Amino acid sequence: MKPEDVTTAITNALIQGGSSWLISTIVAFLPALWTMTLILHLGRPYVIRTLRRCGLRLGADVWWMSYILMRDALMVVTFALSWVFFQPNIVTSAALPITGGLAALCLLIALAVKLTRRVDDDINAYRLATAFLVLGATLFYGPQVFAVEATSQGYLAGFAKFFTSNSNETLALILMWIALAGVALIAAWMFIRAWVSANRTMTRRLAPKETPAVKETTAAVQ
Amino acid sequence: MSPQDLTTAIVNGINAGGEQFLEGTLAAALPIIWLAILGLHLGRPYILDMIDRFTLRLGADLLWLIYVALRDLLIVSGVIMSFMFFFPDVVNTDPLPLTGGLAAVALFGVLLVKLMGDPDHNLRAFRITTVLLAVGAALYFVPYVLGTQGSFAFSPNLVTNTNQQWAVIIAYISIGLLAIMGAVAAIYALRTGGRPEAPGSTAAQ
Repeated sequence: MKPEDVTTAITNALIQGGSSWLISTIVAFLPALWTMTLILHLGRPYVIRTLRRCGLRLGADVWWMSYILMRDALMVVTFALSWVFFQPNIVTSAALPITGGLAALCLLIALAVKLTRRVDDDINAYRLATAFLVLGATLFYGPQVFAVEATSQGYLAGFAKFFTSNSNETLALILMWIALAGVALIAAWMFIRAWVSANRTMTRRLAPKETPAVKETTAAVQ
Repeated sequence: MSPQDLTTAIVNGINAGGEQFLEGTLAAALPIIWLAILGLHLGRPYILDMIDRFTLRLGADLLWLIYVALRDLLIVSGVIMSFMFFFPDVVNTDPLPLTGGLAAVALFGVLLVKLMGDPDHNLRAFRITTVLLAVGAALYFVPYVLGTQGSFAFSPNLVTNTNQQWAVIIAYISIGLLAIMGAVAAIYALRTGGRPEAPGSTAAQ
């Protein structure tokens, strides 16, 4: 092997290895993000209990704002990083949980529930968001723990083969496309909702400016 | 060896090395997290004593909120960083403390007690969280110091990759316990609708 060959090999390895390392790092961090998302969402009663004991409005506001920001930003980040489950090439080449895409879809539905209903005021909306989050986490953790991270366990070989994306490519791709269609539908619905809502509120705000000003009969300042 | 073979070898090296480096870093950071958690939990009387000395309510509120946020976020971080103890492949490959998974379960138990009880105002709940933290710390530090970092005759028995059978059994027990506690937390959240008390019941102020 000539020095040029070694150079080429190292260059290719850095590109391919860097890419696959990035993907595997994202996948490795997803359980942590899912757990954090669940803990922050389910920990709401504890946060409110602490908030009620604040003597000053400022402290309570800072506490609540930090909680909301962390909880919702984590959900968005977890969904954004779950995007690896919607790349056909990655799904078929990397060892990912086969239901990862459906888990991401559940996360997006929980986000959509938060967007459309007041989850922090409406008990049923909170319950609905919780149900989707728990379902999504189950769809993620099950294959991740017992399939992707259990290749060394002989008695789990059948389960691991079925629930790992690169060893059950056909089903993995079917589930991926179903989840992607769901994501596209929900994203389209969120887009239309934001569009209509913006139109309505902005029209209402602009309306008074378009009507002719009424002539005042008396001076404002006497 | 062809250039392609060399490429594949380097790629595999980067992936395996990167993964083990990440897990090794997490394992190395966990004792620090555990010590910080214990320090903050056991330092509660000191914080309360300091709060009494504040002349402004704002300062007292901020100190208490920062303390609570730091303490509880560290516990959450501890649980999250301990997630590798639940992966059979990881415990088979890396030299981790054997009962680290059970320590993570104890830490999650603390979070569950904080969710369902009120350890800052209820003595029983505070005692339960203290006992859980003590048990969790013992389950983490004993195999870590005597096994992972020690070189005694019995040390291999306390390390996951040299006692793989027990490591996997303990991982499964930990996963089971964590799943049960997670289900309890989810049912609690569904029942109360995210409120500190169930709808219709009197407020536990």
